[in-house]
Amino acid sequence: MGFVRVHADVQEYEVFARKTRLEPLRQVGAVVAPDDELAMAYARATYDEERWVEMMIVPKAAVIQLWAPGEAEA
Amino acid sequence: MRYAEWCIAAPTLEADIAAAAMGLDDIGHSRVLYGSLRELGTADVPDEPGSYANVPYLDRPWTDWTAFVAANGVLDSAFTLMIEGLAGCTVEVLRSRLKKMLQEERYHAMHGRSWMRESRAAADAEQARRDAIVWIGPEGGDVDDLHQKGILSLGVRDIRRRLDAQVPAAPASPAIDWKAWDPVRRRISPGGIDELTLGMLQGLAEKRYMPAGA
Repeated sequence: MGFVRVHADVQEYEVFARKTRLEPLRQVGAVVAPDDELAMAYARATYDEERWVEMMIVPKAAVIQLWAPGEAEA
Repeated sequence: MRYAEWCIAAPTLEADIAAAAMGLDDIGHSRVLYGSLRELGTADVPDEPGSYANVPYLDRPWTDWTAFVAANGVLDSAFTLMIEGLAGCTVEVLRSRLKKMLQEERYHAMHGRSWMRESRAAADAEQARRDAIVWIGPEGGDVDDLHQKGILSLGVRDIRRRLDAQVPAAPASPAIDWKAWDPVRRRISPGGIDELTLGMLQGLAEKRYMPAGA
């Protein structure tokens, strides 16, 4: 999905994090930014209130959807 | 505090949040640095307008987002380079405490670099670079002296070179006349922080709301 805000060309990034090494990464939110560096800075500023042991971001465009809600596999 | 002034005025909600987060980070960094100075035996200075050693760029609130971007991209990078120099030094109290600060500053640098690429901040960046160079000080001055003693792992030339490599968008300014340089406040131009901000820093604004006699 394309966004137009201040920057001419931005994309959405999903933010994943976990609190312990044993638990799986889970999606904690999303940020919108024109490049990876600003997306990292925004993710850290927005979602760093909790004590995560790991945080990562993924461009939403890189996520391959198998099916969407309402399109359950037959 | 200048970052915090933009926490509801930046161009995007994400940038608002980043401004608030970076402001909080830097307040924490100041507390660590002042605490370290005290442990190293540095005497407290009187809390007077003339004793604030801020760069002139911070004297007045920024009126445009490009001023924020240049401070974030250039000044913050210069301060971080000095912290890097201290983190790599022989003084244990600094080596151990500055790592977290550098981790947090990494995100300030990313934020500054990205916005510098997009913003028309060249004029502000030139002023910020000049103030940063003045704050670092002249070659052969106290920073180089500390470098030779092993207290700082970087000298003036190293810091300037790394600053220019990190923020190539900041144009070089005319040569600096060091004769008027104040080695305590680390600036050439007179003046200081604005009265309203000074009142907040000194707690004077807070006292206005206290009950009489408190």
